[in-house]
Amino acid sequence: MNITLAPYLFVLPNMLIFGIFTIWPAINNVTISMYDSTNGRTFTYAGTGNYTELVNSADFWAAARATVIFASCFVVLCTAAAVGLALLLDARLRGRGVFRAIVFLPVLLSPVVVGLIWGWIFDRRNGLANTLLGADIPWLVDGRLAMAVVIFVGLWTHLGFYALIILAGLQGIDPNHHAAAMIDGASAWQRFRYVTLPLLRPTTLVVIILSMIAGFQAFDFIWTLTGGGPVGATTLMVQYIYQNAFQSPIRYGLAAAGSVILFCTLFGLTLLNVLNDRRHA
Amino acid sequence: MTTWSSTGDRRPPSIARIAMYTVLIALSLIVLVPIVWAVLSSFKTQAELAARPPTPLPGSFAPTNYTEALRTFDFGVYLRNSVIVTVAATALTLVINTMAAYGLAKYNFRGRNLLFLVTLGTIMIPLQVILISVYEVAADLGLVNSLWGLIIPPAATPTGVFLLRQYMLGLPDELIEASRIDGAGEFRTFARIIVPLCAPPLAVLAIFSVIWRWNDFLWPLIISQDQDRYTLPVALAQFDGQLVVPFNYILAMSVVSMIPVIVIFLVLQRHITRGIAGTGLR
Repeated sequence: MNITLAPYLFVLPNMLIFGIFTIWPAINNVTISMYDSTNGRTFTYAGTGNYTELVNSADFWAAARATVIFASCFVVLCTAAAVGLALLLDARLRGRGVFRAIVFLPVLLSPVVVGLIWGWIFDRRNGLANTLLGADIPWLVDGRLAMAVVIFVGLWTHLGFYALIILAGLQGIDPNHHAAAMIDGASAWQRFRYVTLPLLRPTTLVVIILSMIAGFQAFDFIWTLTGGGPVGATTLMVQYIYQNAFQSPIRYGLAAAGSVILFCTLFGLTLLNVLNDRRHA
Repeated sequence: MTTWSSTGDRRPPSIARIAMYTVLIALSLIVLVPIVWAVLSSFKTQAELAARPPTPLPGSFAPTNYTEALRTFDFGVYLRNSVIVTVAATALTLVINTMAAYGLAKYNFRGRNLLFLVTLGTIMIPLQVILISVYEVAADLGLVNSLWGLIIPPAATPTGVFLLRQYMLGLPDELIEASRIDGAGEFRTFARIIVPLCAPPLAVLAIFSVIWRWNDFLWPLIISQDQDRYTLPVALAQFDGQLVVPFNYILAMSVVSMIPVIVIFLVLQRHITRGIAGTGLR
């Protein structure tokens, strides 16, 4: 292997897979969204027809609304709870390592299994939740409650991951800042508010962006938790896309158009976050 | 928890400390109770599961649900598919990510920065937003209903390339120079000198890759359309709530799906937390 050719050969296998399975499909997705197909084999040109149809579809708006509700609650609660939890895990307490490990455990479990188990716990008839509460709460039967349950299970699954990222950020803060604030007579709350939080900004931004992307793509645990029900109350955008593409009646172009809209939304929001941070920094 | 003489600071329990412990213990319970409840219930009979209120403990800890699920249904096949996909995809990930990281970290070549930017860019394009077009490509290549379709596409992880490249940038170039002067070829230098030095990040990536592939759902769901190609998560999702497979079997197999990750977690917990903390997030 000669030296000029070597690097190209080293990066080739990985780049080939990126090219075939990520970059090309990302470009091709826009093309597919301008065609329509009911079987995935024959395509008819539709121009912007799919997009007009989406904008006029009640199902699409219901999924969009559910996605925005889920994602915004998820981002706000995740970021706030992750900061709080990271502070607790950073405090000098006995058994700190054990707590850190327990908190992180749900991140490793299969989301499908997590949804399945929580769905069974929230079963109205004899689930553990109603049994422990001695109540008859229609957890997954009422649309709003089901959305609350989905948000809770989402937090349960991901919180440990984000808390660990914040914890890494906390440990990167120079202790001298705190010492200086102590000498100036700052209270614990003032130190948190004026020293820790500003210095954590880059880390919290990472958590906000990551949780936003995760929130807008939530699918797997919801699939086994509620199946998107009751009556579509927890059907988010990815499930809407999946159903249009793979469950009859198949509407390929519609699903692809939904994907394009989801991608643009994510890209726009991420960009906004980064620019907003630049303005403040 | 009775003695408060921890190493370092000896302080009596203050109100704040008691509050912190209370919150942490409550959170730990919220994490552990569902998992323990699922494990306990996976030994219950259908009748015990249907009881109102549910019985706290199963009548016996005989592994009937586990053996019956494997005997009466094809869970053995799904488990085997999951193991094959996880092992093969992880091996492929380690090989191609290490090669790509080496090319990007230790060579100056035309287009290097562009390729690195593209790699980072693909983090921004998750499968969920290009689902249909990726499926089209897989269908054109004949990867639908083949385990190769579950192994190859997810193997090129941008996170892995990034992690390994960061680590390799810290390795001295003199090592490579010396190896070349000794007359070793490029690939031999890479395999003999660099790969052994990359054991720490490779271990982290291997752990994560196993967890990712073992838990994958959306991609296997659209690629594995025939039952004999199902992975464990796909089978669990497809049979859940369909009354085809009794729920006590579903629970038992859910617990089986948790076993490998919990074992990995208990054995390699330190590596995992360090991996997340050290992925260059600062």
